[in-house]
Amino acid sequence: MDLIVKPAETFRGAFTARNSDAAILRFPFPFNEDGYMYAVNIEPHVQSGPTAAYDAVFDLDEHYVGECEDRAMVLEEDPLRCQVLPHMLDAEWDTLELLMENLARDYPALFTLTKNGDAWRWVNKPLGLDQSFIFGKTETLPYPPFEYITRQVQGDFTLQDHRDDNLFMDGGMVTSQADWSLNFDLGMSFHEWHGPVPLAHELGVFDRALQYLLRLQNGKPVRRLNWTLTVNPRLDTSPENYPVWGPDRLTITPDNVGEKMCLRVELQTLTRLPRSNAILFGIRGYLIRLEELVRVKKWAARLHRVLRDLPLELADYKGMLRYRQTIVDYLATFDDGAVLNSGTAPEQDRL
Amino acid sequence: MRARIAAIEALSPAIKRITLAAADGTPLPTASAGAHIMLAIPGPGRVWKNAYSLVSPPDARDRYQIIVRRVEPSRGGSAWLHDHAAAGQEIELAPPINLFPIARRAAKHLLLSAGIGLTPFLSYLPVLRGAGQKFELHHCCRHAEAAAFTALLPGTGEAITLHSSRNTLDVLHLLARQRLDTHLYVCGPDPFMVAVLGAARDLGWPEAKLHFESFGGATGGAPFTAHLKRSGITVAVAADQSLLEAIEAAGLQPPCLCRGGACGECALPVLGGVPEHRDHVLSPAEHAAGDIMMTCVSRAKTPELVLDF
Amino acid sequence: MSGIKSRPLYAPLHLDPAGRTHLIVSDLQELPEGAIETGAAEVELWLNGNPIAEAAATGTLRKFRATADLKTNLSHRLQRAPVGLRLYAVGTEAFLWDINNIAAAAGLGPGEIFLAQAGSLRRRVYCTHCKTMNEDVTTSIVTCSACGASLFVRDHFSRRLAAFMGVAVDAEVPGEVPTPEVLYP
Repeated sequence: MDLIVKPAETFRGAFTARNSDAAILRFPFPFNEDGYMYAVNIEPHVQSGPTAAYDAVFDLDEHYVGECEDRAMVLEEDPLRCQVLPHMLDAEWDTLELLMENLARDYPALFTLTKNGDAWRWVNKPLGLDQSFIFGKTETLPYPPFEYITRQVQGDFTLQDHRDDNLFMDGGMVTSQADWSLNFDLGMSFHEWHGPVPLAHELGVFDRALQYLLRLQNGKPVRRLNWTLTVNPRLDTSPENYPVWGPDRLTITPDNVGEKMCLRVELQTLTRLPRSNAILFGIRGYLIRLEELVRVKKWAARLHRVLRDLPLELADYKGMLRYRQTIVDYLATFDDGAVLNSGTAPEQDRL
Repeated sequence: MRARIAAIEALSPAIKRITLAAADGTPLPTASAGAHIMLAIPGPGRVWKNAYSLVSPPDARDRYQIIVRRVEPSRGGSAWLHDHAAAGQEIELAPPINLFPIARRAAKHLLLSAGIGLTPFLSYLPVLRGAGQKFELHHCCRHAEAAAFTALLPGTGEAITLHSSRNTLDVLHLLARQRLDTHLYVCGPDPFMVAVLGAARDLGWPEAKLHFESFGGATGGAPFTAHLKRSGITVAVAADQSLLEAIEAAGLQPPCLCRGGACGECALPVLGGVPEHRDHVLSPAEHAAGDIMMTCVSRAKTPELVLDF
Repeated sequence: MSGIKSRPLYAPLHLDPAGRTHLIVSDLQELPEGAIETGAAEVELWLNGNPIAEAAATGTLRKFRATADLKTNLSHRLQRAPVGLRLYAVGTEAFLWDINNIAAAAGLGPGEIFLAQAGSLRRRVYCTHCKTMNEDVTTSIVTCSACGASLFVRDHFSRRLAAFMGVAVDAEVPGEVPTPEVLYP
């Protein structure tokens, strides 16, 4: 798979991060219909889909180096953004093996993994790393295995322990989250960490999703999409730093909404881990400015209709009440009301 | 996936160890301690899908090993593996699934097995030892098979005890003196499981600390037929096939997504017959009404179902 | 913020007939009327109170000078107890989950620990921004004792931290802080 990694860009401060035309066209747009409501929208994580974002087991893109650098900055300020409870050590090694094997296979020009029994060598060219270590021996790595490898992958990850017919979030690397706290949620059961989500509990969505995930099989990962809106292409919208990013929400005007407002999509993957029987939850986030997104005609019109008709509770939960109307007014200028095909594919191969 | 039988060893007249490797020589998926694999065993006129616990170490990706007891009366998949299987043959297997994992928050693991029920614990031992976890294994077997099981349990001693004659294992005493940080694992013939688990419950062991091997949640069941009214065809659903698979095999494209009874996508209205519900989508009232069913997991209580599809 | 599902629900306590021994602990001076139906079963009761005055009391009742003392003793006791013990905690929510976490560290799990809230509804509130615990919070908004943030007390509860989540109420418009209401007397 070809992957061009840009020179470092910022997801804070001056917000220099921008999507190239290719990155826009591979964006995993989440709305396949003109309306949105929760559903158990889980499907097998096969390596194909409406855009190229689905082509690898763990998708990397042109923002790879910038996102890894942003993660390192967050961890420097707040080491508790990466925590794993002690009984999850096998799951840490499972994660390291899974990520290294998949990255080396999907991006051979960027990563190589050489194994000689338990003696492994990992080369990460974009980040300039060359690490020899003994698989299973934590002391041979500069960080514990889960932290070591997730510092080198885009997107957040959590580790779910499977016990007592439930899943418990007993570990995670969470530096680019949509307003939830790992240190607060660590150790929670499936329904507890979804506690703040409105409406879905009453629909039975979490009961069904849990039953499904408890049956998740080794070698058969699944995926789903989630979304929200973020002001500026900021990765770290954590509750810890709410005082840092909260004021951004008052800066949206009709003149800057296209540039500053971003649709944030999470391509979530769930993989059963072989040794630990735990589940690795990957939350791969994508940020696209509205002015970038509207260059795809179908996406502009569809996003307009979804946000215009979104139930109030959901709009509130996703924190968009202050600027929802500004966004809808902006997007309305790109919506001629024509009937749109269902599905999320961009339906154009250039911008 | 295709596997090749690499070796068959007789451990006793009725017990064989079978070693499998990937037919194309690639590394097998890593398993977890307590996992089982499903083998599709060819028989006259049908295929048996039997589950066997892996006894090889979870990290051994060059081979899967299982131990098979010949079941009397001699029929079924285990008999085929004893009488007809030979090194070099190829066989179809489904990747490992674990319904009997180690409880990783336990500070001590008490393992009780009888007979062929030792098999899942053979994959536990290298993991528990490797992690420095405290454990105690008691295995009960017939005197005649003591030598075979002793050979499978290197390093017997304080942590591992073989009980090969009656009454050497005082289950009540053993269970009563365990501390609050211990989990109990039981695997063996039904009477053994009932006796051990019953004693544990009487002593106040909570359910969350009792672990026992169970191959529940199977997708198969009695065969039945389904008449698809709008399509105007009737499909036969075999014992080891789901209704959804049977409809797909007839060339139709019924709705489906998760294939695990959770998403509700594959629901079809039932016009006749009584479904046997196995999904997690419908409410108890909807299950009782029986006028809608999930084709991916649910089956039939009546010989025929009529579906609106 | 109502409707959050991480908030524990507490059912009235009754002795679990599957248990072999029963221990009830509380941060109150005495158990509220009807807090737990013990019937004729032999139970051990640990309370807050003056241990000297109760020295002659029955062996099934112990009193501790402070909950810290009770917790230390509980941890020691659980490490030696054989399986079959059932632990019941009655009291304020932060106490209940501190007890739960002590018990979990000793290996107790679902079916062995039962909790019931009694007494004050006051909350322990975790400051998301500086990680400080604020004890005995009775109001909808509290000023963090360490960083001074005006924390809105969300109904989101962490059993591991035995605390509710506090998030700056004026993060978007600094200084715009609603008047606190007494919600958790």
